[in-house]
Amino acid sequence: MSRAAGRLAVRALTAAAVVAIAIGLLPVTLVAAIGVAAAWDGGWQPGRLYRAAAWCLPMLAVWLAATAISRHSLAAASPQLAWLAVNRGNYVTAAVLIAPVAVPAGLLAGGLAWSFRLASMAAQAAGRSPAAAVSFDDRQWRHQVRAAKALIAAPGAVPLLTRRGDFAGGAVIRAVGHPARELSVLPASRLRSHQIVIGATGTGKTTLLLRLWAGYLATARPRQAAGQAGPPLIVVLDCKGGADARRVADRARRVLRSAGAGNVAVWPDEACLSLWTLPGRQLITTLVDLIEHGTGGAAYYTDVMEAVVTLAVEAPRGPPTSTADFLARLDAGWLGQAYSAGGYEGQAALARSAARQVPDIALRFRTLFRRLGPGLDGPGGFADASVWYCILEGTAEVAVAEAQARALVDLLASFVTQAPATTVLATKGPDASPDRQVLLAVDEFSAVARRLPIWQLFERARSLGLSVQVSAQSWHGLAARQDDRYRLAATAEGGIWLLGTPHPDPVIALAGQRASVETSRELAGRLRWLRHGSSRLRDKPAADPERIRGFEPGQAAYIHHGGVTFTQIKPLGAGPAWQASAPGPGPGGPNAPFPASAALPASTVPPHVAVAPADPGLPANPVPPEVPRLPDVSSLLDAAFGPPAGLKP
Amino acid sequence: MYGLQLDQLAELLGGTLRQARALAARWASAGLADSAVLSLGPPWVWLTRAGLQACGLRYSAGPPALARIEHIRAVTAARLALQSVPAYRDGGAHWRSERRLHARLGSHRGARDHLPDAEVHWPDVPAAGTPPDWAGECWAIEAELTPKTVARTTAIMRELLARTGDYGCPAAEARVAGLPPRHIRAVYLCSPAAIGTVLRARESLGSRTNRIEVRLLPAAAVLPGRTPA
Repeated sequence: MSRAAGRLAVRALTAAAVVAIAIGLLPVTLVAAIGVAAAWDGGWQPGRLYRAAAWCLPMLAVWLAATAISRHSLAAASPQLAWLAVNRGNYVTAAVLIAPVAVPAGLLAGGLAWSFRLASMAAQAAGRSPAAAVSFDDRQWRHQVRAAKALIAAPGAVPLLTRRGDFAGGAVIRAVGHPARELSVLPASRLRSHQIVIGATGTGKTTLLLRLWAGYLATARPRQAAGQAGPPLIVVLDCKGGADARRVADRARRVLRSAGAGNVAVWPDEACLSLWTLPGRQLITTLVDLIEHGTGGAAYYTDVMEAVVTLAVEAPRGPPTSTADFLARLDAGWLGQAYSAGGYEGQAALARSAARQVPDIALRFRTLFRRLGPGLDGPGGFADASVWYCILEGTAEVAVAEAQARALVDLLASFVTQAPATTVLATKGPDASPDRQVLLAVDEFSAVARRLPIWQLFERARSLGLSVQVSAQSWHGLAARQDDRYRLAATAEGGIWLLGTPHPDPVIALAGQRASVETSRELAGRLRWLRHGSSRLRDKPAADPERIRGFEPGQAAYIHHGGVTFTQIKPLGAGPAWQASAPGPGPGGPNAPFPASAALPASTVPPHVAVAPADPGLPANPVPPEVPRLPDVSSLLDAAFGPPAGLKP
Repeated sequence: MYGLQLDQLAELLGGTLRQARALAARWASAGLADSAVLSLGPPWVWLTRAGLQACGLRYSAGPPALARIEHIRAVTAARLALQSVPAYRDGGAHWRSERRLHARLGSHRGARDHLPDAEVHWPDVPAAGTPPDWAGECWAIEAELTPKTVARTTAIMRELLARTGDYGCPAAEARVAGLPPRHIRAVYLCSPAAIGTVLRARESLGSRTNRIEVRLLPAAAVLPGRTPA
C-alpha cells in the first residue's frame, strides 16, 4: 500500500468516525448545526455560542438535581428514555427529555466548530481556493452589518446610555482587539477626553457627532447631580459656514433639545456673545490679535496699535462696553481728554505721541467690526445656553472667520477660567461655575487655523480642562501640516472615529497591527489547490483600509488603544414624529433633516397654527415657522378702531 | 401705562371730567398720585412711588416723559378703545403694557431689542363666556404717530413676528427657529401720517402680510386741541 493510499484510508476512517459520533449524538449534532448556522447567518463570534451554552447550565443543574432526587442517582437515563420515545414516535417527548443535556453540549460543540471554521478561514487554510477566505470574510461582514442594522432599528435596543451609565454609539458590526459586544459602548470618561472624528460628506458624520454630543450631555448630568462637576456646556465651532452649517445647526438644536439640552443657541444668526465681557488685559490681547498684522517692520505698528488699544481699554472711566464705545475711544482727542486728569501723565504722553497713528488704527478696527457683524457685540454669554452652535464663514470669508474663531476661543477660555465671584456668576447664577464640563467641538478648523493653529487650540483647551473634539472631512482637513495632524491624532485619548473616507491609511496606522497567520497553498493545476503549503506569522493592520473605504453611511470604525470596533451608528431621534418619518438609515437616510414640527411641544402650539419646515438656509434674522390660516379678527378691530376704510387689504 | 390725561381717566372710569379731577385730587392728597399739566388739554395724572407700591407694582416712579407724551396718549387711547369692545372683555384679554415689558427686561435689554407698545394676551379659556376664534394668541400692539422709514418699520415688524421668547428671557431663547412665534400677529394703529409707511412695510413682508393688522388710531389718540396730522 502506498503512502498516499494509507493517508486516504486514515482520512476515510476519521470521517467515518466523526459521522458515527455525529449520528450517535444526533441531538447534540442538531443543536450544534443550528448554532453554527445561526452564527454564520448573524455573523456572530464563537463567544456568543459559548455564552448561550453557559446560560443553559442552570437548566442542566436543575435537571441533574431532579434526576438525583427521583432516582437517588446521577446516572442519566434520559438518553435511553429519549430513544424509546423516538421509537414510539413521541418526538416532542424525546426532545424534552434530551434537551437539558443536548442543548448546552450542542451549543458548546457548535461554538468550537464555528471557532475552528473562523480560525481556519482567517489563516487562509480552508476553502477550495485561497480566495475563499476573502469571500468568506466579505460574506460575514454583510451578515454582521445586517445584524447590526436590525439591532439599531429595534426600538429601545440601543439606548444613549447603558445601565452602567456608559455611552452607546450603536451596534457593533465587528470588533478587532476590543471586546466583542452587541453594543459599541464607551465609558463616560472617554467622552470627556479628546476625540477625533473623520468622515467625508454623506457618511453620517453629523449623525455620529450629534450622538456624541447628546451622549456628552447625558453623561454629564449625573456628574452634575452628584456635585462632581458643574453643568455641561457644548460649544461647536462649525468652520465651514454656509447653508449646510445652518441645516446642521437646526438639526443639532432639535436633537439636543430632545436629548435634554436646555437652550441651544446658534451664533451669530440667533444669539450674540459679548466680546466686551472679557477682562481688560485679555480684551486688549484679543482685540490686537483680531487685526491681522505682520512681523519684522510691521511689528512696530503692532506695538503702536497695542499701546493705543491699551489706552482705550484701560481708560480711567472703565473698559468699553460695546463696539461703538470702543471705536469712539479710538480718537486722539478722546484719549487725551480721558487721561487729562492728574496721575495719568505717562498715558497722556503716550496718547499724544501716538496721535498720528490713532486714525489709522481706528480705521482698521472700524473695518474689522463692520465685517465681523454684531455677533460679538452682545448681549449674551456662554452661560445663556447649554449648547452654542457657532457658525464661522470659513469658506466664504476666511479672514473674518479667523478673527471670529480667535474671539470665540478667547471668550470661552475667559468663561471657563472666570472665578465664581466674578460678574458671570453674579449675573447668571451657579450655571457659570468655573468647573463646568465643557466640550469644545470644532469642525474643519483647518479652514480658519491660519492664525490660530489647531494644535495650539488643542493644547490650550487641554490646559483649561476642556474636552476637545476635532472633526474633519478627511485626514488632511485635520490640520494644515502633517506634523500637526499626527500631533492631534496621537493625543486623542478618547479615540478616533473613522467614517467613510478615501484616505484612511494614516489613521489606520495609528490603530497598530495585529499578528495573523498567512498560509500559502500549493497549486496543483488550473484553479486547483492542494491542502499542502506553509504558514507564517505576519503583522497586518488592525483595521482593513479597504473595508473603511467601502463604508456605507452610518458605519464607523472606532479606533482606540490598538483595537478597532466597527460600529453601525444609531441616529438620534428628535421625538416620535421624527422616528416615524426617518427610522435610522431608512428612506430618509441618516442625514435626512428632521421635520420642524418634531421639536414643537404640541401643547404650546395653538390648534390653528400650522408649522412649516425650517428654511434650510436660515436668514440673518431667522423667522419662526409661518402661521397661515389665522382667524379673522376684523370684527373686534372694526368695533374698536373702525373699519380699515381706505386701506389696502 | 406711564400716566394718562384726566379725560382718559374719566373715560376709563365711566365718569365725567369733573369726577376724574376730584378723584385725582384725592389720590394726590393721599400721596398716591401726582398731577400736572404736561401738554395741551387736561392735566396728566400718574402714580407716585407710594401709589405704585399700593398697586403692587415695582416700576420706577416718575411723571411721563415729555418727549413721549403724545405717544403715551395714543397708546392709552388704543387701549381704551379696545377695552370698550365687548368681545375684548368676553375673551378675557389681558393688556400687558410696554412699561411692564420694560420692567421685565430690567438691565438685560439689548440695544437691538425692540419692545412693542403693548401685548394683548388672549387666554385659551376665558373666565366667563366662550373663547373667541383667536383664543390663545398673543398680539403685539404698535402705535405709530410719526412715520419711520419703510426699512426700519419692516425690520421692526420682522422682529416682532420672529420673536419666540418672552421679554426678559435669555438671549438664546429670544428667537429660536422651529418654535412657534410669540406674537401670532401685530396690530399697527397708525396716524394718517404714518399709515402709508406702515402699509408699504407690511407689503414687503411677503407671506407674513396676513399677520399684520393695520388700523387708524382712534380720534381720541390726538392730544386735545391739536390738529391730527
